[in-house]
Amino acid sequence: MSHVAYQERGDVAVEADFVVVGTGAGGAAAAVTLARGGASVIMVEAGPWREPHDYAHSTYGAMRDMMDDWGSTITMGRALWPVVQARLVGGTTVINSAICVRTPEDIFLEWQRNHGVGDQAFMERMWRFQDQLEDDLCVAETAPESMGRSNELALRGDAAAGYDGHVIKRYAKGCLGSGQCLQGCRSMRKQSTNLNYVPEVLRRGGQLLSSAPAERIVFEGRRAVGVSGRFIHPQTRAKGARFVARARKGVVVAASVTHSPVLLRRSGLTHEAVGAGFRAHPGTGVFGVYDEPVDQNVGVTQGWASTRWREDGGLKLETLSIPMEMAISRLAGGGRAFMERVVGYRHLAMWVHALRARSVGTVRAGFGGKPIVRYGFDAYDMERFRGGMVRVAELHFAAGARAVIPGIHGLPYSLGPHELDILRQGPLDPRRYVAILSHLFGGCMMGRDERTSVCDARGKVHGRDALYVADASLMPDNIGVNPQHTIMSLAMIVAEGAMGVA
Amino acid sequence: MTWLVRIAMCDMMPATGSLPGLADAGVDAFLAQTRRETTPMVWFGLVLGAVVYVLSPVLTVYVPLPSFLLPRGLRDTHADRICTTHFYLLRQAIFLLKMYACMCWGQDPAVRKRLNVAPYPVDPGTFRTT
Repeated sequence: MSHVAYQERGDVAVEADFVVVGTGAGGAAAAVTLARGGASVIMVEAGPWREPHDYAHSTYGAMRDMMDDWGSTITMGRALWPVVQARLVGGTTVINSAICVRTPEDIFLEWQRNHGVGDQAFMERMWRFQDQLEDDLCVAETAPESMGRSNELALRGDAAAGYDGHVIKRYAKGCLGSGQCLQGCRSMRKQSTNLNYVPEVLRRGGQLLSSAPAERIVFEGRRAVGVSGRFIHPQTRAKGARFVARARKGVVVAASVTHSPVLLRRSGLTHEAVGAGFRAHPGTGVFGVYDEPVDQNVGVTQGWASTRWREDGGLKLETLSIPMEMAISRLAGGGRAFMERVVGYRHLAMWVHALRARSVGTVRAGFGGKPIVRYGFDAYDMERFRGGMVRVAELHFAAGARAVIPGIHGLPYSLGPHELDILRQGPLDPRRYVAILSHLFGGCMMGRDERTSVCDARGKVHGRDALYVADASLMPDNIGVNPQHTIMSLAMIVAEGAMGVA
Repeated sequence: MTWLVRIAMCDMMPATGSLPGLADAGVDAFLAQTRRETTPMVWFGLVLGAVVYVLSPVLTVYVPLPSFLLPRGLRDTHADRICTTHFYLLRQAIFLLKMYACMCWGQDPAVRKRLNVAPYPVDPGTFRTT
């Protein structure tokens, strides 16, 4: 019995050395490290297990089958911005663009200075795991033949404007450039964890409970001894049988930045630090309007990036082609005026920026256990956010765009190359912008001070035995680059610590 | 309330000379599927957006009638203005509706062919049971 899917009745009880909650970047990396170390592992995943042939084609299908709660989680603050996370075996690695970026050295220095974690030995260990991940998951630059016109234009703009950009390295084995990252890669080129680490854990004798959201961590005194919950049917959302997964040696929580703190709180860890320190990389796109068709959905979803302004401005610039139906919903207006804008879709290229924001929020449980993210955006972040849009717009013009569409409420629909001052002096009210939060951090932060952090540098929860956190919620700060590589290597360190490896 | 959602969505995406409108893009089947499959919260959001849309012409074109009683030209003006209203919460409610309208319209084979994007096969909606 290595995989137990939704069970309508008949309670399920399983036992192993370790129980890992979540199978995304953190959970799968922790589970495979434990399994390779000889431990028996039970993975408990809230969503169903979908093979590539089960993946949705349409955006509607992706929202239904892959997104957490139909993608309806939004930040509660001055602006309501969506929080993008997946809910299936493989987690967000199934729906992201599989971008691989090594943890920058300055991040460790900041963690060390501000939180007392992340010394030289820790950094070197993280990078060794990142070497291993790059081998395991076939990290490579996107091949020129898979780039597509939008990415080629970004390279052209970069060459003209000097953005010091690069072709993105991704966890992809011979990417075909099908532009379907958001709906999952049906051609199995993207190396999401449901294709490699999760099956490896099962081959090594592990077990997987899918459609099984953990409701509580079970304790005996201070010691975590398992998790319990009820199966939820992936289509009808009907509650099924109860399950209990018992752990002889430890419980590793990697349920995501929004769900891990809520699970801990629901399990009686009501320390003020649980759910605090939520951070993100809010991002938004600017369309370039080109004379020739771009057909941005042909080619790799994200092929070009620049981190030139990461340290000075906190910006990362990237190409990003989202599905056509999502892209057009960002064009302003309704009725005939809107449809006349949609006619020009083939000539649009959307490029984005993500901001290493300094704003901090919280995650708490709301009605029915749904995570509530409270997150405001201060004026300093807004200025940099707007500045990122200016950089993207300038890149479009350097690439030959005749206009840009910033998508800011209250500004003209499109701006020509000589109208960028309008964007530079644009509003600083976050409600005027359409943004998303795709990279999330914090909520179960690691740190030396038990009053302000939840875990130590090995992911062990302060004041509890045999309970660990191994996802992005551990990170005490946002990092300014795509976080999957950092999450996975951090989870591997946590898993080694749980096994007692010094 | 599906009829109300349909009215609002179709007004947002009418047919033009070169593109089919939402009414010709399988909206009825889409809404029946959405009503059946989505969460109560998402459906509530769509209905709320539709109510806002239908009842707000007095704010946009200054006519105290529901949107479906407006002549075609005024309905277009209303659709454009309510999608870009200065009232943030109204704009957000309408944005959800518009996003679902775009999801329905954008999966239509004729639309996809016209915009040179590959057609979508049927979503399998399957998952591993063993």
